[in-house]
Amino acid sequence: MKRVVVTGLGAATPFGLGVKAYWSGLANGVCAIRPLTVIETDTFRSRIGGEVPETPGGSSRRTRADRLAIAAVDEALSDAALGTRDRADTALVVGAVGGGMLEAESWYWAAARGQRGRAVPALRSVLPCAHAEALSARFRLGGPRHSVVTACSSGAVAVAEAASLIRAGVVDTAVAGGVDAITRICFMGFNALKLLDPTPCRPFDRNRRGMSMGEGAGFVVLEDATRARERGARVHAELAGHGMTTDAYHVTAPEPEGDGMARAMRAALAQGGTPASAVQYANAHGTGTPQNDRVEARALARVFGEGALLVSSTKSMIGHTMAAAGSLEAIATILALGHGVVPPTANLDTPDPDVAFDCVARVPRETPIDCAISNSFGFGGQNVTLLFRRG
Amino acid sequence: MAAARVVITGVGIVNGAVVGDSAALGAFLAAPRPAPGMAPGAVGRLAAGAFAGLVDAQDARRLSRVCQLSIAAAKLAMRESGVDAARGLGLVLGTEFGDLSSTHVFADGFLERGAAGLSPLLFPNTVMNTMAATTAIATGARELALTLNAPTVAGELAVARAAAAVAAGEVPAVLAGGVEEIDPVVERELPALGFGRETLGEGAAFLVLETPASAAARGATILGEVSGASWRALPTRPWGVGRQRVSRAIEAALGAAGLEAGDVGAVYGSASGDRARDTWEAHVLASALGPDAPPVASLARLLGRHAGLGVLRVAAAAWTARSGLLPAADEPATRLTRVPARPGLVHGLARGGAHVALVVSAA
Repeated sequence: MKRVVVTGLGAATPFGLGVKAYWSGLANGVCAIRPLTVIETDTFRSRIGGEVPETPGGSSRRTRADRLAIAAVDEALSDAALGTRDRADTALVVGAVGGGMLEAESWYWAAARGQRGRAVPALRSVLPCAHAEALSARFRLGGPRHSVVTACSSGAVAVAEAASLIRAGVVDTAVAGGVDAITRICFMGFNALKLLDPTPCRPFDRNRRGMSMGEGAGFVVLEDATRARERGARVHAELAGHGMTTDAYHVTAPEPEGDGMARAMRAALAQGGTPASAVQYANAHGTGTPQNDRVEARALARVFGEGALLVSSTKSMIGHTMAAAGSLEAIATILALGHGVVPPTANLDTPDPDVAFDCVARVPRETPIDCAISNSFGFGGQNVTLLFRRG
Repeated sequence: MAAARVVITGVGIVNGAVVGDSAALGAFLAAPRPAPGMAPGAVGRLAAGAFAGLVDAQDARRLSRVCQLSIAAAKLAMRESGVDAARGLGLVLGTEFGDLSSTHVFADGFLERGAAGLSPLLFPNTVMNTMAATTAIATGARELALTLNAPTVAGELAVARAAAAVAAGEVPAVLAGGVEEIDPVVERELPALGFGRETLGEGAAFLVLETPASAAARGATILGEVSGASWRALPTRPWGVGRQRVSRAIEAALGAAGLEAGDVGAVYGSASGDRARDTWEAHVLASALGPDAPPVASLARLLGRHAGLGVLRVAAAAWTARSGLLPAADEPATRLTRVPARPGLVHGLARGGAHVALVVSAA
């Protein structure tokens, strides 16, 4: 089987634009969850989130999410030093949920007030696949292209999908990741489900009260290892394996024993030919909701044994960036491998005694890591685990 | 490791003209007629009760219409196939608009009553994977489950991705489907969106794909084979129609099937009345298949363009490869053309450049 390596990283996060800003925030345990400004939050229980502080440049006709994605892909392609010629055969897989919903909402809200607006740009950009079309045209990516929607695991699934294309020999190179801007629909929905913490989220804390929303874009360039070596590309890490499963249990709640999550982790380990004992760090899905964190901890214990690895949640610092979460957390995992630093779980004051792991409370941990996983789970029981080894 | 062969063992269809399995599809294709309401520039809505009895009473009460559509077609396909989900079943679903109707209702609740008007039950439906999630629950599909979003080609893209999963050994069997309902807001804005004289429809279709060995183990009837599948992006701006005619997707799909362009007996294309896109696709097919190109059928005039149609066309191509009959694309829509009983090409090309090709053979 072909080996897949990561040769490019790009990010737009609540810490700002670029991977450097992202890692600086993560490695210092900074919480970027603040009062939201891009949408109206009056009358809601939670009014905070992780918002990208600077709007990327580009045409104002593009949606906010498209601009976030373009900034991240631009950085990833530059990081990989992938030229125009290479891009003609490069695959593109985008994980998305909201599409251009933020702008479509503005049109729809205005129409509800009796104001006439232009429906065409709103409706054409509202679909999740609009990002892939924009990216494909902007960067002239001519290989296989598809857009996946698996709710909160979309970004990680996109990375897994791209790896499958390389392993199957369809392409040598792929750009993959996820993007989402904060939208009213999503913010209102999680409020309606009473899943948002009015204060910055505290994953794995005994007193956790829910999640915080976020936005961003995270993209990676994946390559066949042989081809990367031949062209002298810098390798950030190896994507050694992935596993995707479905709970087939409930539309919003995870299967209580974590069976689907555990199967995804085991499948990733099996594909990577890696024993569970070799994994030193798990970048958890770690939303901060009482139920999700409990079930994820249970699934981790089933696969790795209690207390056997370090666990932390990126969402404690940037919020839940929806379709971008899986790919941004994959990038966080890759950076942790590269720097030998485990980013902490911010806001974790009182570790939950039912979570049998060292969740790296508040302060980053310097320790060499050779092998790590990144977990992502979504509505509908959509589980994916990515397994990385140091490059 | 060599790629495994991928066969079709079940078909499930729910639309305005066909509700049933491969036999129902065969009966429709042998005497094709437009579904009610089909006309250029029109939206052919699925009649109420079209899938009554195909979903559990509890699902019918609590699930949205588009989720019920998906479940109904998936169950029909599983029933024909006899596939056992407990032995490992994946699900790949293509859609263009998803459950946009629920999204509007959810938003309207807020616009009318503020935060108190928000329905926590509706919110999950605003995420496009809701149909795949509910269908996975209804069918017991517990392996990979993907929702693929694309205009025009979502159904055939789902089949291509599902076939790749079986060929690579990712899963023993996959439900591959497409589903669409027309949202009232989209319908209202269709002329402004530039759909022009396009014929749009609603419905769902699913196939069960698996390896021949998996099918043989339980004595399942093989209805056809997906012997090559590929997808690419042709260059163009978002929502645009491009000029490039060279199709690497068709080339790759034929290559995977070990065929040349001249081996193709018939084509099921994606023409649907969008004149600019239809012309682009005709140029792409002519470039790939040469001056002696086989006849091209499009079922969109009969059933309306929707994500389920892309899946249905794969099943139809298997029927044509077996029967040597092809519904004609031109008027009158009911004419049948006799074609060589050879592998067929299913092709889809969307505004924005999404582009899919599948080679489908008789078993």
